[in-house]
Amino acid sequence: MRIIIIGFGKLGKGLCRAFIQKAGFLRDTYGLIPRVVAVVDEFGAVANEKGLNPTKLLKVADSFGTVARYKGGKRGKLAIKVIDEVSADLVFELTPTDIHTGEPGISHIKRAMQAGKHVITSNKGPLVVAFGELDLLAKTQGVEFRYSASVGGAVPVIGLAKKLLVGNEIKEIRGVLNGTTNYILTRMSAEGVPQDTVIREAQELGIAEKDPTLDINGIDTACKITIIANSLLGMDAKLRDVKVVGIRRINPDAMKLAQEAGQTIKLIGVARRGYLEVCPKLVPLGHPLAVGGTLNAVTFELDLAREISITGFGAGPMETTSSLLGDLIDIHCTLGA
Amino acid sequence: MVMELEDVPGQLIKALEPVARFGGNIKSIMHQRERKTPLGRLPVTLIFEVDERTRLKQILAALKEAGVRVVQIGEREGAIREIVLLVGHIVHTDIKDTIDKLNAIKGVTVSDLNLAIGSLGQESSARMTISADDKDQASLAISRLRDIASKKKLLLITPIEVVQ
Repeated sequence: MRIIIIGFGKLGKGLCRAFIQKAGFLRDTYGLIPRVVAVVDEFGAVANEKGLNPTKLLKVADSFGTVARYKGGKRGKLAIKVIDEVSADLVFELTPTDIHTGEPGISHIKRAMQAGKHVITSNKGPLVVAFGELDLLAKTQGVEFRYSASVGGAVPVIGLAKKLLVGNEIKEIRGVLNGTTNYILTRMSAEGVPQDTVIREAQELGIAEKDPTLDINGIDTACKITIIANSLLGMDAKLRDVKVVGIRRINPDAMKLAQEAGQTIKLIGVARRGYLEVCPKLVPLGHPLAVGGTLNAVTFELDLAREISITGFGAGPMETTSSLLGDLIDIHCTLGA
Repeated sequence: MVMELEDVPGQLIKALEPVARFGGNIKSIMHQRERKTPLGRLPVTLIFEVDERTRLKQILAALKEAGVRVVQIGEREGAIREIVLLVGHIVHTDIKDTIDKLNAIKGVTVSDLNLAIGSLGQESSARMTISADDKDQASLAISRLRDIASKKKLLLITPIEVVQ
């Protein structure tokens, strides 16, 4: 399969590493040979329809900060040009999220679909801003569109619901969907220290970004709830439809009062048809959603299976690659079937 | 509740079946053979929990239909307890008023309050236990508290399983 990778940060590189490590497995198990024919990063691009060498791509990107230095590479903003001009079967859209405009992700995804290319993305921006439009475009263009990595990192929230639970009616999906805030709350609960101290610690460990506002204010979780509502509950929700309260006001005293009653405080996202919410909730210790550290956890409330909960790592290049690769194999198998 | 059963086989099962059928959770059964009534019946003391008053009514109706004589019912109210947290200027926004407004709901009482006063300029935190006779009243109390918290700019943290 001929692949274009747009965005060559941690995720793009992680995916490239997986192509190297799992080449034999993908070929032997699924007959899938991923051939990277173009890579675009923020400084430039390189394309070769015969296929680029993934090991060399990683080496060049790490040494020079851009794939433009790969043999035949070019500098400049080239994503759209590459999507339009390079023959490929599938585009990985892995650029950073802009939750307000959804760009440049939306343009990349649309152009790819219009060119008849399948799309896999981890980018929440386009899914929050234009889910309905992109979903429809994929259908009218007859291309596959997958976005498992946008919610839950490695935790197969979308895949589980869309594949294995299809016989159920989903009544509600709720969960811990942001590893950064979960780490902060877990540390506050364990150490009884103020939030600012824990945020600094999380930043030093690379768990929190320099500006963790979107996490702390619950917006990142709200984005994931919006995507879940649109993709799994058939809603046409926007970010503004989610009632959001973040964790900013949670202090060590509140945490202690919760613990004394056998509870803990978690930032919980809830998606029910017609009701979308993100807010801190009291969760009994030992409850499936009372997960610690950077873990994510999601509970599906279903008519037949009643309740199913899953937990795992919600971020990290290797963990997220699990979802990206899963989507690729899924598309490969769908097309082959 | 105390029931009086005929001293013939099969009476106890007849009395217990309706309790189980309508979701009563039996805590204890005391069969007092030595305290036979003048009419030769046996008093049986049964303790069970139901989560709604309507269930209790259904159980009583079914017992009556089955011909079981119920002589005494002792309800312990406030069986539903919800723990919530409040964060904000809880004292300055009149905690007594907050509690009074909840206590004003029939069948609802604030049965416990733990307050942690924040240091100067910081927000305080409180853990409140709300006792209610049944689930409907508990959720009414939570929704009333949600309005109060919103007006007083307090952060209300509710249990994950509460029905909105």
